[in-house]
Amino acid sequence: MRRRASLVLLALAVFCTALSPLLRWYAFPQLAKVPAGQYQTAVLEAKDATLIDYATLQPRQVPKVTTVQTLKGNVEQARKVKDATGRDVVVWDTLSYVAGPDGAMVSQIPERYVFDAHTQQPVHAGGEHVDGTPVRRDGIQYKWPFLVEKRDYRYFDPMTRTSAPIHYRGTRTFHGLKVYYFEQTIPWTKVPLPRQLPLGITPDAVRQLGLERWYATRRMFWVDPTTGAPVNGEEIHREEMRWTGHPEKKPIPAFSGHVKMRPDYVDSTVALVASQRRLVLLLTSYLPWGFLTLGGCLLALSLLLEARDRRAPAAHVAHDGGKPERPTPSAGSLSRGGSP
Amino acid sequence: MRALAAAAIGLAAALALVLTLTAVGPPEGVTSPEPLLSSVPAHP
Repeated sequence: MRRRASLVLLALAVFCTALSPLLRWYAFPQLAKVPAGQYQTAVLEAKDATLIDYATLQPRQVPKVTTVQTLKGNVEQARKVKDATGRDVVVWDTLSYVAGPDGAMVSQIPERYVFDAHTQQPVHAGGEHVDGTPVRRDGIQYKWPFLVEKRDYRYFDPMTRTSAPIHYRGTRTFHGLKVYYFEQTIPWTKVPLPRQLPLGITPDAVRQLGLERWYATRRMFWVDPTTGAPVNGEEIHREEMRWTGHPEKKPIPAFSGHVKMRPDYVDSTVALVASQRRLVLLLTSYLPWGFLTLGGCLLALSLLLEARDRRAPAAHVAHDGGKPERPTPSAGSLSRGGSP
Repeated sequence: MRALAAAAIGLAAALALVLTLTAVGPPEGVTSPEPLLSSVPAHP
């Protein structure tokens, strides 16, 4: 009986011990992926910002400019790309809607971002665009890969529509979470005008006035290293309208402000990331270490039972001098409860 | 011999469990009916 128990324990010990590396290095890379149907919003605000008035083409100080960013996973499109490429992909349709202090639209830029659900690397399957212009992304955008490394990454800038390094600048604590801080600086670069501008103005009309749009930014992200999700983002963003072919003419500031995530969105993002973080840690740490420890304990118990099982008959044999047990008449009477 | 068989059963069960888990995978989900926002939401 003891022997059978030790064999069962041995089987369970091997089961648990084998599960540990299998979960960490086989199951995790396949199971950890960005959900195809994710829907997320973020609101960012720039207080006391400078904003161009397109009616007068003059800059003015405004109390607040708000950017509403929506990410929406397109599951049907992701399935089509998967059928075509054989890769697990996520298709995000996004909209960056910028509103002035009165809530009126300042600009809105739609995007489509297609990327590998496991690695977050862009997948070029057609349909990628920024503001209707096809782009070919290189590097990440919006989210880092799972298990972020302390190194620089390439990050896609939707304004210039090119990728540039985003530098790892150290580890910080943000709202109780240990996060990696990244920074990207984009120098003054000529960028296209958004297709949707206020007052029905078209990009062509602005160009006919002899103006072109330039932009520079310093982008900062606080990223949870386990999930790769940013828990906070800020940008020191500047835009100017410059006179085409007239560098001597003074540019018109179009926007200048320190864009920060609204505090209620910071809180909700931190809560969301903390819950997702636990799921990732379950597969990368809690379960592998738990199963390994359990496997070790079960193996020790199995060996203990096996050793006892072997020792018991040996001790019995040593006690009676190694002769086989034989019933005697007196022993028989004692067992029956008789007395002399 | 019996110990080897027990170990093999444990290993096979672990492999079967992990392969099943990865084959099934997480649910795909559906496209959210929520729109891309063009107004400032009051709260998350």
